Amino acid sequence: MMDLLAQATPPSDSSPFWSAPNGSSHLVIGIGAALLLGIGLIFLLLQAPVRSRRWIVALFTFLAGGYYVLYFFWPTAIDRQPNDLPRNPMEGVTFWISDAFPIVSTFTNVLAGFLLGLGIYSLWRVHGRRIVKQQKDWFFSFVLLASSVMMAFIGYADWHSRQGLNGPLLANKANWHPINYAFDFFFEGGLQQMDAAMFSIIAFFILSAAYRAFRIRSVEATVLLATALVVILSLMGVITNAWQSGINHLGGPDAFVQNFSLDTIRTWLTNTVQTPSIRGIDFGIGIGSLAMGLRLWLSLERTGS
Amino acid sequence: MGAQYLDTGWIAEAFTAMLVLFVLFNIWRAENAGKTGKEVYIRRIPGLNAIDEAVGRATEMGRPVIMVPGLPDYVDAIVVQAMNIFTYVTRIAARFSNPILVCCYNASVFTVAQEMIRDVYQQEGAIERYDQDSVRFISDRQFAFAAGVSGLILREQAAATFFLGNFYAESLILAETANSVGAIQVASSTQNTQTPFFIAACDYVLIGDEFYAASAYLTRQPVLVGSLVGQDWAKISVITMVLLGLLTTSIQIQGKTEMEKVASGPSKGTFAHVQVLSNPADPKSPMVDGPPRQMTVADTFMYRMLNPLPRDIKFHDEKAGTFERPQKPATNPATAAGGGQ
Repeated sequence: MMDLLAQATPPSDSSPFWSAPNGSSHLVIGIGAALLLGIGLIFLLLQAPVRSRRWIVALFTFLAGGYYVLYFFWPTAIDRQPNDLPRNPMEGVTFWISDAFPIVSTFTNVLAGFLLGLGIYSLWRVHGRRIVKQQKDWFFSFVLLASSVMMAFIGYADWHSRQGLNGPLLANKANWHPINYAFDFFFEGGLQQMDAAMFSIIAFFILSAAYRAFRIRSVEATVLLATALVVILSLMGVITNAWQSGINHLGGPDAFVQNFSLDTIRTWLTNTVQTPSIRGIDFGIGIGSLAMGLRLWLSLERTGS
Repeated sequence: MGAQYLDTGWIAEAFTAMLVLFVLFNIWRAENAGKTGKEVYIRRIPGLNAIDEAVGRATEMGRPVIMVPGLPDYVDAIVVQAMNIFTYVTRIAARFSNPILVCCYNASVFTVAQEMIRDVYQQEGAIERYDQDSVRFISDRQFAFAAGVSGLILREQAAATFFLGNFYAESLILAETANSVGAIQVASSTQNTQTPFFIAACDYVLIGDEFYAASAYLTRQPVLVGSLVGQDWAKISVITMVLLGLLTTSIQIQGKTEMEKVASGPSKGTFAHVQVLSNPADPKSPMVDGPPRQMTVADTFMYRMLNPLPRDIKFHDEKAGTFERPQKPATNPATAAGGGQ
């Protein structure tokens, strides 16, 4: 029988309870207790006065954010070996931070897992209603919902078949079961190809967008057109060769005119004009992110007002 | 040859602390602007004028406004920023009973967006006009999402689209599709590689940190305005440091020099430029090309922070940066392994 509590990460002695052996009572009791605890905490939060609720959320935000601030700013232990103990309190904090990271990340993943359910519920509600009411293009909604159920089933069955001792054997296609072929057909043959098709559409969109952007309507558009033209031409071997021959006719290898080869102009444009501009924008974005992160961490942000 | 370590010293930590102080100080300044009578000024951003125009046009045409808060993996600062702008757009749309659609790539963003949009309708006293399906989870696969949103833009004949947040290769697919239905487009991507695509295809683009300035300008909340001024102070500091760096690297240091550790005096333990001579006793002797002294792990600022009292440190190999630590008691060979990252 298929073990529905199969996990991707094998448990070890130091693993938390959610990594207990599959199907063990330890795991089931742990999940049940954690669920009850979570519901209890949410109930308590809802019972708290509205004013204090904000402070509770702010406190948790500060603690969670504080961990990541420490993670990024606290020095990392150098040359740490698996059995090492910290030599002083400073290094003790370092060890604690790096050991806690997988657990804190797991919390984030669990939360995201719960929220994914809400997202799928939204998808089903929108498309289910369209099917029930037989609205325009309802058949596409049916295809979407049928595909999602089918892929969830086939994907899990395929993954499950690859667990255990026989898993490595499936690296050889000769050992595949029908479910592995089904997964390969729908995922690799269907979804991945459709992804690639959507990606390739960009080529046509680039053409139409470039046509509009390069029309000479203003001084800025003209400068853009000229620089883009130089960069495009400098990447075309025939043009660069012809241009270089012309330059060589005008002067020898040390002549001033050699500065005007297409490659040199392109390098100057990208290194002297483009890169500093992008770095300038990056600085702005970085500082903006920092300020935004600070406001969120300290709960100074009043969103939606 | 051992490993060579890069050490930014205390400057990186000090610089971050300075930015944080600038932001916090200006938030405090803006919060107290009423008491001191000194209003904090921020200039107008042209791209933001387009927001009212775009929503107004959508109302006239009776067609929806479509908003996409990028393609994040989770709710991050960029998503919150995008949602701040979307709440402003939604507020105007709610006043004019204009339909909206928020398309989400990530389920956690979807739940946050749903709450924020419903709050806006509630604050505007128009909760009966709030459509639960106006915030939709589309897909968490990049091109499935692009296909889904493009389909919505075409089917709903969107009058205005707002693409704000983290966008990647799908940016042009979305922008060109919206352009094909004649929608007014306001866009911004924190990914520099996508900004040119938005500039080519959209009507208004918020470039770089204008994206972060938008909510401050639109809402005029003291916290946001103060934070924005703090950001500007930080940018001025960065520009000053760039100019100082330009100046110092432009001044040529005569002769061959190397970085050496100062052995005594107030700068003991720090690194300084020293001239390398063939005969150290004779300052007029010619300079030589000796092997440069490498900075070891023990010289880095981070290492010194971790080991404020370095007397107990014993190295296996100082240059390679491997040294001795006390060991966990090996009670069970099966559990002794593990721990280190």
